[in-house]
Amino acid sequence: MRLAVLRRVFALAAAVLAGAFAVLPAAAQPVARPVTGTRIEKAAGEPANWLTYGGGYDSKRFSTLSQITPANVKNLQSQWVLQDNVVGVWEANPLVVDGVMYVTQRPNDVVALDAKTGRVFWIYHYVASPDAKVCCGANNRGVAILGDTLYMGTLDAHLVALDAKTGQLLWNTAVADVKAAYSITHAPLVVKDKVVVGVGGGEFGIRGFVAAYDAKTGKEAWRFNTIPGPGEPGHETWADDAWEHGGASAWMTGSYDPELNLLYWGIGNPGPDWNPAQRPGDNLYSDCVVAIDPDTGKLKWHYQFTPNDGYDYDSVQVPVLADIPWNGKPTKVMLWANRNGVFYVIDRVTGKFLLGQPFVKVNWMSGFDANGRPIQTPQPEGAATYPGNQGGTNWFPPSYSPRTGLFYFSVWENYATIYRREESKYEEGKTFLGGGFSVLSPAPGSPTPGIGRKSPINTWTNETGSGATVAVDPHTGKRVWTFPQFDVTEAGLLTTASNLVFTGGREGFVYALDAKTGKELWKAQLGGQINMAPVTYSVDGKQYVAVIAGRTLVSFALRD
Amino acid sequence: MLLVAGLATLAGRAAAQVEDHNYSPAAIQTGLRIYSNQCQLCHGPNGDGVAGVNLARQRFKRAHTDDDIRATISNGVSTAGMPSFRFQPEQLDGLVALIRSGFDTSGAPITLGNPARGRAIYEGKGGCPACHMPKGEGPFNAPSLAEVGSTLQPTAIQRYLLEPTKAMLPLDRPAVILMRDGRTLRGRRVNEDTDSVQLRDQGQTLRSIAKADIKSYELGKTSAMPSIAGKLTPAELADLMAYLLSLKG
Repeated sequence: MRLAVLRRVFALAAAVLAGAFAVLPAAAQPVARPVTGTRIEKAAGEPANWLTYGGGYDSKRFSTLSQITPANVKNLQSQWVLQDNVVGVWEANPLVVDGVMYVTQRPNDVVALDAKTGRVFWIYHYVASPDAKVCCGANNRGVAILGDTLYMGTLDAHLVALDAKTGQLLWNTAVADVKAAYSITHAPLVVKDKVVVGVGGGEFGIRGFVAAYDAKTGKEAWRFNTIPGPGEPGHETWADDAWEHGGASAWMTGSYDPELNLLYWGIGNPGPDWNPAQRPGDNLYSDCVVAIDPDTGKLKWHYQFTPNDGYDYDSVQVPVLADIPWNGKPTKVMLWANRNGVFYVIDRVTGKFLLGQPFVKVNWMSGFDANGRPIQTPQPEGAATYPGNQGGTNWFPPSYSPRTGLFYFSVWENYATIYRREESKYEEGKTFLGGGFSVLSPAPGSPTPGIGRKSPINTWTNETGSGATVAVDPHTGKRVWTFPQFDVTEAGLLTTASNLVFTGGREGFVYALDAKTGKELWKAQLGGQINMAPVTYSVDGKQYVAVIAGRTLVSFALRD
Repeated sequence: MLLVAGLATLAGRAAAQVEDHNYSPAAIQTGLRIYSNQCQLCHGPNGDGVAGVNLARQRFKRAHTDDDIRATISNGVSTAGMPSFRFQPEQLDGLVALIRSGFDTSGAPITLGNPARGRAIYEGKGGCPACHMPKGEGPFNAPSLAEVGSTLQPTAIQRYLLEPTKAMLPLDRPAVILMRDGRTLRGRRVNEDTDSVQLRDQGQTLRSIAKADIKSYELGKTSAMPSIAGKLTPAELADLMAYLLSLKG
């Protein structure tokens, strides 16, 4: 295990720390209030803050802040910029607590800064083991907070707790073995007195799990294996010993319903990724949403989106919890736009499938049976599968606005992949993929989109896939509007009570759209790809919208 | 220090010119299998997944010769996060073949003839200078071929010669843009985003056009380049290929 070290970057750090809470607007924002479980449960009631990854346990990413409106959004102006030395895509989601922002930067720094000025209070620097391996970038998507403590998962699969006031390390727990290529890239979720995280490593033959740790001590409270072991229900969905290295990672943050006391988590693809013949069976709980008792880690129900997946259709999307009328009755549902190209509505009390409707071209399935199981239509060898391996959408967080009743997310249109399947042999810490793939393109050897944008010149063009922001009516699964973009997009969504949608894309534009029509109301060019969902907060009565593009975090507010 | 580094680079380039471009389809397939299992996650399906590196187009940060490629794979690049790999010699040969083939897994056989004779065909029977400008002279109707020998692989060059439309990359589709003010702009697309198109027009002027000012925008699906299929003998094609591969800027 390597020791984490604290690095103070500014000579004045100590002075700032000592004076920070006096400098902040103490009268308007009582800063010393710890973030209790009750506060997180009622996060929607304090829209000045952004207290969890999804802006609240329901992960709606909907804010009741309404100072910025469709009429005045054109007056947004950059208030401050945090520029950073991040190399690679910056996917972090800031938290804002009483005027202080906490954001992570690659691979595992935590930065505490003044949400009003962008001035940094402290930086915590964690040195991950050199053995850390991730398939798709040394990402970290953020921290969780409880009381005065911050929690971060690390690239080498540790969970660390920090004092939110000083950035001092409080405890450091090994969650999984880095040598077997386990990692943590998502923001943890605090539920009551526990911190819940899942593990990445689905491309390296891990056996996935979601686990809860005592928030005070870091001691493991429970572990839910996302691949059932011998004797456990679901184990029969794996042939022979395929379960031992079957992936089923959990690399995004889940959601929680305090009333039902159920924790919902999206589970990743089975491994080896592209050779389902090597692991016959449904491969539970890969590509599932699981509902877990947060006190015990026991499974309550599951729904599997893509049984025996051969396309890398991770179902790690953030579960969005909404209460909407369904067949005339108020219903607790979960809204889910899956990487497999299908939008789902699921009863979150029982796990019952209510609706499944493709939102992009889909040819891996042709519909559903009576139980909501997809009727799969594997394409012949050499033929293209829609959507392609990065999905019709992916991990980038969606948003639901109770004001419009619409569900918003980013999609990849006309994007397809040709798979090549072969046997893979498991070796610890090595990739375990079961073949390879190529993205469908109009000319041999054409550049095609992949994970993150690599060049300022768009050589791949929209002929290999293009992006769009869409609004879907949960009752039909049909698009209400589409805001097309030329390049594909990995931006998440934010909606507000004034019927604004904020998002971005790989081209560096941050957009404000009309939530009802999709009309572009405002945009700014930030020069770097946006691979996160903008967040909103307020300090001293002023509403801000913060977005990360390239290597900069920019906070906008209305011009004075 | 700088001088020494410069000399080393020159030596590397000189060595690169003696690579024979003869990689067997079997070796390319071997390379593809290893690549898709061990390399593709970072380097991408087309070899362009790491910023500043494009394996298919021979754009490397440090490698010049085939042996450089073998060494980079075997030693890794710790500063860039690339691990070291232990491969058998024939596996390394396969990866080199895949990279040097420009990721063209068809492994079409390429025969190279005499570059001097090839130049005569280029300027005479081939009629190439009517559109291309190999040394910065002549018309601007088609891309410069000044560095084609180092930017494109033999299989890709041959495909352009025989099936220019099929080989045309999406970005290279000829653009005809009718503006709202009545002007018509023709040229090659250089870049594009949701709001604008960047064009190199027929007079070689770099233009940026707001899509809001465009009335109609068409991208030709047919390359303006005629195919040389059936116009040259196999021996003449081999000579032309040898000449084009000698153009390295």
